[in-house]
Amino acid sequence: MTMITSNPARQLFRFNAGYWRATPGPFKVGAIILAAHALFAVIGTFWTPYGFAEMGAGLPLSGASWQHPMGLDQIGRDVFSRFMHGAHIVLLLAFAGTMLGMVAGTTLGLISGYVGGWFDEITQRIVEAMISIPFLALALVMIIAAGPTLAGEPVLIVFVVGLVYAPRITRIARAAAMEIATREYVAVAELRGEGTWSIVFREILPNAANVLLVEFSLRLSYAPILIGALGFLGFGIRPPTPEWGLMISENRNLLIASPVTVFGPGLGLASLVIGFNLFTDGLSRMLGQRPVMGA
Amino acid sequence: MSVFRLLASRILFSALTLLLVSILIFLILEALPGDVATRILGRDATAKALEVLRSQLHLDQPALVRYFQWLGDFVRGDLGVSIATGRPIGDVLGPRIVNTLLLSLFAFAIYLVLALVPAIIQATNRGKAVDNILSVITLVLLSLPDFLLATMLLFLFAVAVPILPALATISEASTWLETLRAMVLPAVTLAIMMAVYAIRVLRDSLIEVLRSDYVRLAELKGLRPRAVLFRHALPNAIVPALNVTALNLGFLIGGVVIVERVFSYPGFGTLLIDALQLRDIPLIKATVMISAAVYVAANLVADVLAVLLQPRLRTSR
Amino acid sequence: MKKLIDVRNLNIAYGAKSSWTNVVQDVSFEIAGGEAFGLVGESGCGKSTVAYRLLGYGTINSLVQTGEVLFDGTDLLKLDTNSLTKLRGNRIALVPQNPTTSLSPGMRVGSQIREMIAAHRALPDGMSMQSRIVELFALVGLPDVGHRYPHELSGGQQQRVAIAMAVACNPDLLVLDEPTTGLDVTTQRQIIQLLGDLRSRIGMAMLYVTHDLALLAQIADRVGVMYAGQLVEVAPCDQLLAAPAHPYSRGLITSIPTVDGTDRRAQGLRGVLRRDQMSTGCKFEPRCDFATAACRTTPQVLEPFGEMRSVACMKWREATVPQTPAVKPRPGARTAAKPGRLLSIADLNLSYGKPSIFDRFLGKTSPSIVRDIDLELRAGEVVALVGESGSGKSTIARAISGRLPPRAGLISLDGDLLASTLKSRSVEQLRQIQYIFQNPDASLNPRRRIRAILERPLAHFGIEMDEMALEGVLENVGLHAGYLDRFPEQLSGGERQRIAIARALLVNPKLLICDEILSALDVSVQARIVELLRSLKEKHAVAMLFISHDLAVVQQLADRVAVLYKGALMQLADTDTLLDAPLHPYTEMLLEAAPGLSKDHYVSRPPAMPASKAVHGIGCPLAGRCPRQVGTICAETRPPVQETGSGFVRCHVPLDRLLFRQVPIATNTGDSIHRAGTAPAFSGR
Ligand code: SF4
Ligand code: SF4
Repeated sequence: MTMITSNPARQLFRFNAGYWRATPGPFKVGAIILAAHALFAVIGTFWTPYGFAEMGAGLPLSGASWQHPMGLDQIGRDVFSRFMHGAHIVLLLAFAGTMLGMVAGTTLGLISGYVGGWFDEITQRIVEAMISIPFLALALVMIIAAGPTLAGEPVLIVFVVGLVYAPRITRIARAAAMEIATREYVAVAELRGEGTWSIVFREILPNAANVLLVEFSLRLSYAPILIGALGFLGFGIRPPTPEWGLMISENRNLLIASPVTVFGPGLGLASLVIGFNLFTDGLSRMLGQRPVMGA
Repeated sequence: MSVFRLLASRILFSALTLLLVSILIFLILEALPGDVATRILGRDATAKALEVLRSQLHLDQPALVRYFQWLGDFVRGDLGVSIATGRPIGDVLGPRIVNTLLLSLFAFAIYLVLALVPAIIQATNRGKAVDNILSVITLVLLSLPDFLLATMLLFLFAVAVPILPALATISEASTWLETLRAMVLPAVTLAIMMAVYAIRVLRDSLIEVLRSDYVRLAELKGLRPRAVLFRHALPNAIVPALNVTALNLGFLIGGVVIVERVFSYPGFGTLLIDALQLRDIPLIKATVMISAAVYVAANLVADVLAVLLQPRLRTSR
Repeated sequence: MKKLIDVRNLNIAYGAKSSWTNVVQDVSFEIAGGEAFGLVGESGCGKSTVAYRLLGYGTINSLVQTGEVLFDGTDLLKLDTNSLTKLRGNRIALVPQNPTTSLSPGMRVGSQIREMIAAHRALPDGMSMQSRIVELFALVGLPDVGHRYPHELSGGQQQRVAIAMAVACNPDLLVLDEPTTGLDVTTQRQIIQLLGDLRSRIGMAMLYVTHDLALLAQIADRVGVMYAGQLVEVAPCDQLLAAPAHPYSRGLITSIPTVDGTDRRAQGLRGVLRRDQMSTGCKFEPRCDFATAACRTTPQVLEPFGEMRSVACMKWREATVPQTPAVKPRPGARTAAKPGRLLSIADLNLSYGKPSIFDRFLGKTSPSIVRDIDLELRAGEVVALVGESGSGKSTIARAISGRLPPRAGLISLDGDLLASTLKSRSVEQLRQIQYIFQNPDASLNPRRRIRAILERPLAHFGIEMDEMALEGVLENVGLHAGYLDRFPEQLSGGERQRIAIARALLVNPKLLICDEILSALDVSVQARIVELLRSLKEKHAVAMLFISHDLAVVQQLADRVAVLYKGALMQLADTDTLLDAPLHPYTEMLLEAAPGLSKDHYVSRPPAMPASKAVHGIGCPLAGRCPRQVGTICAETRPPVQETGSGFVRCHVPLDRLLFRQVPIATNTGDSIHRAGTAPAFSGR
């Protein structure tokens, strides 16, 4: 017993080092990519070579150079600076939106799956209806419905991502809860007379954690694409804020003249998503779960 | 439970879902607190313009009445009139839907090949180099945002090596060959996007099925590997992939929106974007309803196929 | 006899490049043409791994290090896929463990057999495919079910289909991997009977892999006992059972419960097979009662002795303790005085869950699963509820515990009526009834330490308990304080079940419901849990409702037995009385089917009126299957309850006629043969 309770801090440290070596390859690569992105985003928040909205940083359309690794856009803004500044915006929006969807979806899903009955029936029908409206269409309609005052605000994007995700996460959480609810330790708790909340949070949630973690990671990997797509279609963050999807859309006119202004940010976005996806893959392999795609 | 009863209850549920979708869309677009007309036209709209819009949308009537009127019309096939163009929505939508349908069918054909072949290769060569390489490729393609993939393909095959048209603008005047050529890039983009999901699911489920007791027994019965794969493994492994295909269809309709936009293809997706940009509410409602209906129908088909492929489901649901 | 298959020095390891674990070591045996060879051992001993190699099959992560498997002179381990494909199914066929998962779910069973015959072009001359398939079905005692899908057949039928498929090409060798596990006792015996029958007809050899030595005794000529990847003893079946040489075989045999009325206390095996604590010498050393220091370092190999036997223990001669003729009187402690009644169930009727909305819409009600149950439990008494799967025994337990509100009927505890739902029962009532589940893997929350698992009920019921007392409870169930900080996955199945028992006892219940708590465990572990329950019963005077499908286990523990069939109580009696004079035709069937420890040449008795099936909810559920059915009256009217001294029998046949059996049930234990059919035990009362 002494062995087990000895020095938790040291244990944690050893735990980490040992675990890191034991993690699957994709997880390592993914984690490194994500760490690099995070670092890049932190730096970009405070410092960029040029101002992100600074026009005339150089000759427009002059292509890639050492001063301007991603070239310059139509009005002479340095694309790399914009890209750098945009990093934290993309990360924060993705994270906040996914988190919102996760909290709402998990709570609703677990309770609905465990309690069952009419509550579950109604929740499921609504969830089903929300999922039937295609992803992007639902997001766009919600943005339109929010009206011109809110359009382009980060809060709106976070809410839209959260609302689009919530029903999908609800479904996963519900399935997990229903499966776990058949386990006998839940029956044991019921036989003891434990209340619903106690069972959901003591018995079900800890055992659904793996499924939910993988789901979170999976949703997180898609969030930058969703946010980018909104920006690309002109319904995302309001310019001149350099959200990556928006930048790609703005610079698309330069595809022939200066392709790097499109593919620079594009590759940045892709590498972020690759990082997330590798991370998810590794995580699911480690936790013995299979990510449920799409839906 | 007989297949028919199953089918009946499925259809019933689908209809219910669509009804809820209509309520949802209506709630989001028209029943949110605040004045709809101002939200459409913005703060600085003139009082006159607002007035015209209000009467066009029958905003003077209570929401409930408007909803049932709309629903009634919709069910009867009257989709209303577009605010922006003043044309009946049915006329506007018709040709666009046909175009998108053509594109989707083309994409679907490519998709089938693109999904099945790599998944089978991967599952039967599990852990070997081919499997790993294909896994990496799928993962990278999976991570490419659809708008980026479309733009990249466009750059590669229309700008760098100009063998295909960059813009897929087709019209009645274009010949068959022109239309087909125009559709290659958008269709390939869509197919890749659908396939990457399906490959992963199909690979995993195929691997699982290949490990199952019945595949082992089939092997130990002395059947040839090909027979084991195609007769015993594949029919059972395909069901999860089928579900994913259907589930991802919602996601794909989003993809259509983006792909059509990148290639300026005159389909359903561009129409939706136009409608959104012009805040043409009747048109938005109609397009969203139709896309939800497509999604629901696809899932219905997938469910029925799953039941046909897995006789077990006929009794246990 | 000519050797058909010859396994030599087989060594198999599992794992990946970095770390290999030996799972099979130096296994050698041979099977002659037409011979039935059994391979027996606890789970994880490597028996299935060996068996599949006889089909030239191994999983990707297993590797044959040395050895050969000679079949008709060719080494199967060296054959290429193509030649293997020709051999498999055709000359060596498999009967899989679990037919439910082994038959292709999307294919009609007829096509699955057809495909087998077609692949090997094994259609006998002048016969059409269709008639051959029908013939095969007939061979295994099935009607033509070719157009059915696997899921439309019962477990027993599925296994028959799998057997029909296996023998479709008249193979020389049949490999059977636990072919009856998961089936009901009576079905098990019918399958064994069928296999013996087929063997004599087709003349094929068999390799029969199982954990169930008693079952093996019914079919095998010779048996190899495996432990931790090694063969520790090979002997003709009857000799092994009569005089096992290896200490492990001995422990295994004494662990097996039988219904022959004997009590074999405390001779079973201790500990469990742990691959991580293997000594370099004898693998069995950590668990062996005869081990010496030399055993730990000297590897043991099979040494021949006697005429056809060999054993891998250097001390087997010394280690032979004269086995006490295992017949000991049953514990006399069975409660003589009748204490007050604790639980009473009256007219209980149950049906499953709520009907779905769709069904309610159509005005359908779900049929009763359990009908008219009357049962009483006295304080401190163990009553067993016995029945085959689907008989409703667990459903009754669910209703008592409050998880399934009954459709009708009353349940009362200590004279107070119990509410039908959990929510409306008082905390005190919840505490008094504790439930232990079948599967210890699922009944402990994997995310909590044992300490938290044990402390939660204490906190919930407001019971104070200090660390010492907690440790005391653990010791009570044969564990120690070191377990408190472990997670369930660090425990073996038996240990987990002990924790579950400890958790239930911790809150001082009056009634313990044990729902098939042994069936997920290995035989040797089972024996020790029974031992534990027995001591707990004496110490705590807690009453138990012990639910089981296994009469043999029940007889070691229960004071009274209630026999359930398709949701109706068939008989209730004192355990001794029941075993001596089963009376009810169904009890009789169960007892006959339970295998003894030697060949008993069981032949299932045919139903008297197979066509006369019970009218649901009215007739005797056994009608149509009962060997003593007296007429359509059985199917059409409810059999009357006939009181006996210690309980009742529900049957249309009058008691005095039930007393006389058509066939004596067992021929092995001299003791029970005398008891059978003579003085009825209840007549004196
Ligand atoms: S060799 Fe020693 S330890 Fe092994 S079984 Fe024989 S007596 Fe026991
Ligand atoms: S009532 Fe008839 S069918 Fe039922 S057990 Fe008695 S004899 Fe058999």
